Amino acid sequence: MVGILQEQHPGRARLFMQWKQMDWPLLVDPLNLLGVSVVPVTVLLDEYGIVRAINPKQDEFQQFMEEVYPEPKHMDAPRTGRSDLAALEQAALGHDPDALRNYADALFLWSDESHLDEAIEGYTQALQKDPEHGPTHYRLGVAFRRRYESPFRRANDFNQAAQHWGQALDIDPNQYIWRRRIQQYGPRLDKPYSFYDWVIQAREEIEARGETPVTLTVEPGGAELAYPAQTFDPAPTATRPEPDPGGRIIRDEQGLIQIEATVVPATLQPGGSGRVHVVLRPDQSQKAHWNNEVDDLVFWVDPPAGWEVDTHYLTVGRPPEAVSQEVRKVEFELKIPDELTGPVTIPAYVLYYVCEDVDGTCLYRRQDVSLRINVAGGRK
Amino acid sequence: MLSSWASFAGIALIFLMVASVGAAAPSGLQVGQPFPLLTLPALADGQPRSLADFRGGKVILHIWASW
Repeated sequence: MVGILQEQHPGRARLFMQWKQMDWPLLVDPLNLLGVSVVPVTVLLDEYGIVRAINPKQDEFQQFMEEVYPEPKHMDAPRTGRSDLAALEQAALGHDPDALRNYADALFLWSDESHLDEAIEGYTQALQKDPEHGPTHYRLGVAFRRRYESPFRRANDFNQAAQHWGQALDIDPNQYIWRRRIQQYGPRLDKPYSFYDWVIQAREEIEARGETPVTLTVEPGGAELAYPAQTFDPAPTATRPEPDPGGRIIRDEQGLIQIEATVVPATLQPGGSGRVHVVLRPDQSQKAHWNNEVDDLVFWVDPPAGWEVDTHYLTVGRPPEAVSQEVRKVEFELKIPDELTGPVTIPAYVLYYVCEDVDGTCLYRRQDVSLRINVAGGRK
Repeated sequence: MLSSWASFAGIALIFLMVASVGAAAPSGLQVGQPFPLLTLPALADGQPRSLADFRGGKVILHIWASW
């Protein structure tokens, strides 16, 4: 038994295998170099690596186990070891899209995260030559998302990932591996299931066995744990009053808190729904810190008439320390009107307590957030 | 033989429970053709591995995701 994993975060599969006590070899294919359009797929390979059945039925399985297969007249010599990055880089200098993709693939798979910039550049250059190549859009999206989760993160990385995954799916709407990547971070109406709710049960059962669950480098949360919904569940109006209706709270002109918003999917269909991911980070260069001594962060969104949101008023809790620098996240879902076309910006704002340094001045500040929603032209 | 099948089917069921997205055959794989000689990182240690490493014995290959 051997596995190939189609997943961005292999550590999660490691936890899954610990949970299910699976110990067979697993190869990780985060870029979907294999080109499969669905999972799971079971493939039976004979002693020579020839495919003998795909998703076999019981009789095919039995026949496979009993059959003595002939040795092929010709077999490609297996390639072993890591890719020769220097040779691939040299080949990419000719700007052939295949060579650029191969170099970017190798950088992604075999280099550390400090080389993600180069991988992203390689895929981007390949797309300039070959803009309708869906797999390159998908892989570029994967690279952007990985950089977003790395210490080398740049502004807009998650947004770029969502956009390229969307472009990939536009090119091939039957590619379910790509579709699932968008749904992983997308709205509940589009989800076929909760993607990582099993993590909670897995940890409980592993601990009950007296083992320590594998530590995840990227913890699933928000959209990745959300359950599917059949209908959009709008927030009841006026459950909480708007926190700063007159706009009297002083704005965070210094940018002590950096805010980045991403909508998934990157382009909504008229009448469709999206999930908005808002990430708030204290600006390290200014030594900004959250002030945790007063009250929770508040996020407020009140879209125009005809729009629906699943909540208007969100809060983010505080750690026990007086000050902290953690990343805070807000997620909510919206549904846009049927007749809407073109990009639309909806207003939102955040209220928070922030300090200029560990022992610096602490302030109560507001930051306005413009959420840009891209809407596909015409009716669905 | 039935127990092999039962074991195989049990594992397949695990994957169907966590990641069933469709019934179409994967692109690029054809019965009677060699499996692509991709070299990918192993989950266990990140070292390069290929399906060719498993030649010499029959292989039941599961392509899956934990979601």
